[in-house]
Amino acid sequence: MAETPIATINFKEEAHRLLPEGASFEACLTCGLCSSGCPASGIENMDPRKFIRMAELGMDEELSTTPWVWCCTQCKRCHHVCPMNIDISQLVFLARSNWPEDKKPQGIVRSCQMICATDSTSAMGLPPADFVFVVEDVLQEVQATQPAFRHLQAPIDKQGAHFFVNQNSREPMSEPDEMVPLWKIFHLVGADWTYSSIGWAAENFCMFSGNEAAWYEVIKKRVDAVNNLGCQVWLNTECGHSYYTMWQGMKRFGLEANFRLESLITYYARWIREGKLPVNAKWNSKGIKFTVQDPCMIVRKAYGEAIAEDMRFVVTSLVGEENFIDMQPNRSANYCCGGGGGFLQAGMTEHRRTYGKRKFDQIAATGAAYVLTPCHNCHSQMEDIGHFYGGNYGVVHFWTLICLSLGILGENERTYLGPDLLALID
Amino acid sequence: MTTCQMNTPPEMDMKEETRHFNTQLAIIGSGIAGFAASIFAVNRKIATAQIGNTGALAYTTGYLDLLGKQDDEQAAIADPWRALEELRKNQPNHPLSRIPTADIHNGFDEFTAFFGEYGLAYSRPGANNITALTPVGTLKQTLCVPATMAAGPRAFAAQKPCIIVDFIGLKGFSGRQVVANLHDRWPDLGTERIAFPDMDHGEIYPEVMARALEVPATREKLAAALKGAAGQAKVIGLPAILGMHRPDHVRAELERLTSLEIFEIPTMPPSVPGIRLRELFEQVLPHKGVTLIPQQKVTALTFAAEGATLSLSDSYGPIRIHTQAVILATGRFLSGGLEAHPDEIREQLLGLPVTQPADRTLWYRDRYTDRRGHAIHRAGIAIDHAFRPLARDRRPYNERLFTAGIILAHQDWIRSRSGAGIAIATAYRAVAEVERFLIAQA
Ligand SMILES: Cc1cc2nc3c(=O)[nH]c(=O)nc-3n(C[C@H](O)[C@H](O)[C@H](O)COP(=O)(O)OP(=O)(O)OC[C@H]3O[C@@H](n4cnc5c(N)ncnc54)[C@H](O)[C@@H]3O)c2cc1C
Ligand code: SF4
Ligand code: SF4
Repeated sequence: MAETPIATINFKEEAHRLLPEGASFEACLTCGLCSSGCPASGIENMDPRKFIRMAELGMDEELSTTPWVWCCTQCKRCHHVCPMNIDISQLVFLARSNWPEDKKPQGIVRSCQMICATDSTSAMGLPPADFVFVVEDVLQEVQATQPAFRHLQAPIDKQGAHFFVNQNSREPMSEPDEMVPLWKIFHLVGADWTYSSIGWAAENFCMFSGNEAAWYEVIKKRVDAVNNLGCQVWLNTECGHSYYTMWQGMKRFGLEANFRLESLITYYARWIREGKLPVNAKWNSKGIKFTVQDPCMIVRKAYGEAIAEDMRFVVTSLVGEENFIDMQPNRSANYCCGGGGGFLQAGMTEHRRTYGKRKFDQIAATGAAYVLTPCHNCHSQMEDIGHFYGGNYGVVHFWTLICLSLGILGENERTYLGPDLLALID
Repeated sequence: MTTCQMNTPPEMDMKEETRHFNTQLAIIGSGIAGFAASIFAVNRKIATAQIGNTGALAYTTGYLDLLGKQDDEQAAIADPWRALEELRKNQPNHPLSRIPTADIHNGFDEFTAFFGEYGLAYSRPGANNITALTPVGTLKQTLCVPATMAAGPRAFAAQKPCIIVDFIGLKGFSGRQVVANLHDRWPDLGTERIAFPDMDHGEIYPEVMARALEVPATREKLAAALKGAAGQAKVIGLPAILGMHRPDHVRAELERLTSLEIFEIPTMPPSVPGIRLRELFEQVLPHKGVTLIPQQKVTALTFAAEGATLSLSDSYGPIRIHTQAVILATGRFLSGGLEAHPDEIREQLLGLPVTQPADRTLWYRDRYTDRRGHAIHRAGIAIDHAFRPLARDRRPYNERLFTAGIILAHQDWIRSRSGAGIAIATAYRAVAEVERFLIAQA
């Protein structure tokens, strides 16, 4: 089959169309703050300043074809530190979209194809019926084996429920027991919630693959699913980009929604404040240290400081103020883990780990034994670089630690606990 | 089974909710003036919101200059306090001439004390300027230096044998250049180039090195390399890479591991000292109760009888800030506070009158390097005794509006080496005036 060539983009012209007023390339001072603060700098001999300079010089062919665009995680840290407000990630997105499908990293393309292949919108291709089966199967097991939770519910397609809850496919697909802690949390706070058999999945690689039409289709399916069930809140669970792609997609494509988008972190914080989740840090008698990873997709790129603050409130409530060590930098200035933007799916392992070295150093500098993060991509990437660079930290979900603190973490729900934490339970 | 259709989606705007904040003081601008104003306001228990892209702050060397040169003299200033008296006589309109010496001193004291609390100690303002090293190995006069840099001027004054270490792959700092420029005045100065631990390919950035040195294992590896490079010398000068978040600790640890005295020299941007300041501000001020909205521009500022309103947006959506008083600290051309238009210089946010040459031909002298400076650099906002910008009728534009920093007219901070000095001192005065105003209102 003949290869499709990559067309050449006129970046300068496109930038005029794309970049907001007062943020043109011409304003670039070539100060290098973006490159200095970008973990992808140096990969494929490229960095954000160089990208801007080359665009300015009309080196469009090189920019249209550099594989670096797949190593930039679209984290927008460059934008955050740029004194002139220049957003390079928009140009990178443009370049990605311009690559023919057969030339794009096949991992991301396949993930998007999978998402489009079923009504689940699952990147792992789990069809609606299978999802329903797994949920019901796990639920019955919990009801039968954990007496305190014999009335636990995991509603599916419940019309008019308050929360429409999404679910990362990794759990139903490969570690189904990891769904249970969240169900228990909903049970405790008395939340009126439901899964949906349609559009339930949390991941969305179509945006990252630069396939705008597919991105639209996925978001449309999810929006319709929430509207059809008449839910008031689309509750994004512990996943970063699912929130961002939905929020941005709805804005970009002007989709009518009869519901609000909210993040589970905000609710964890609210339920703890209201006393509905009576967590405390007494269990952490050995003073085990924790840090937290701010996912770019919900902190820097979306809610900003408000959610970062909620996240810290939840963590310190769970592990004790004195056992929490912030990464540096943090909040909106935090580094991307290197798993975002589809990098984990792209199959460029060496580059991804080079990118992740910055994150590894950040974690190592805290000396923490565990990283908490409400994002599946961050989770996988931080585990991988931890192993690769010889770190000795674990990565845990918030739901695990909440249930641990409440003394309700079931035997099968402890995959991510190391011996130090396990010793405290038994 | 469904498939994704390749049709082009429609583009529309989704409705966004506006978030509202109420505060006593809103500071526009996140340069040194804006951040200093926030510190002073917080210390005076004034409820404060601050908005602004950090801009030029990240470019500073870390040195806080008060007054390094008189405009019409060649010699560097040794005693800035006495020089201020002279400035008052020669340039009564200069912003620093309008502030009592005690206030300037207190402003520097309060500003530098703030950093010390957070692992980034500064020398306190002394009776004389400090002779400090620049990135290229020339000397400059400054008032306060970060503790991580203080041993450099001391070693120079004592003429101690010293090795300047630089790194393979690091641009913007060359030991050889520093030594070449200082050789006549510091004969016992040498240089060595080493590899930074675990960064063996391509260009490496001071920011990345600094963060890596927050990790104990990296410090140990670097310490071993430094001991090798030091030879007989007991003092080592490094580019500014000694940690980002806890530089005092990183330096102390490296000194302990090497038994050497170690100091930093600023590098060319993008450099670490400015990023340190910026990250410290961004973390500490919210902790102290400031509503900080970094990296955004205020797009409109309106005044009504009962207060002022700022409009802006962040990535999440539109924001309105309702406030009793405003400090405008938006800087000059680089930061966007002032704009050069074909016919005139304009103030960007409110269109405040700008004190400036009668026409464009007078902005610059013929030669850019002319030692007498250029009129455009003295353009800016004129103020009354209470640091309120003046309207065209020479009365305050609004009783709630104050201003600080290098946006002010009648100064050329680059020539007088007084960037931070003007920012800190005018912020100190502006906040004092805001406090007075708020009390009077109450
Ligand atoms: C390369 C370089 C090196 C320097 N080195 C030194 C040094 O060694 N020693 C020293 O003392 N000083 C130094 N300075 C000077 C110093 O950093 C500051 O420029 C000076 O202190 C003035 O500060 P400022 O806050 O008044 O203005 P700026 O630092 O210019 O800050 C103005 C701020 O206002 C923001 N802003 C503008 N418009 C808006 C708007 N509409 N809404 C919100 N925010 C807005 C900008 O984004 C910016 O953050 C250096 C400056 C530069 C550029
Ligand atoms: S930070 Fe902004 S101004 Fe500086 S080089 Fe990068 S794009 Fe240009
Ligand atoms: S978006 Fe992130 S990864 Fe991409 S250039 Fe900017 S800082 Fe680098």
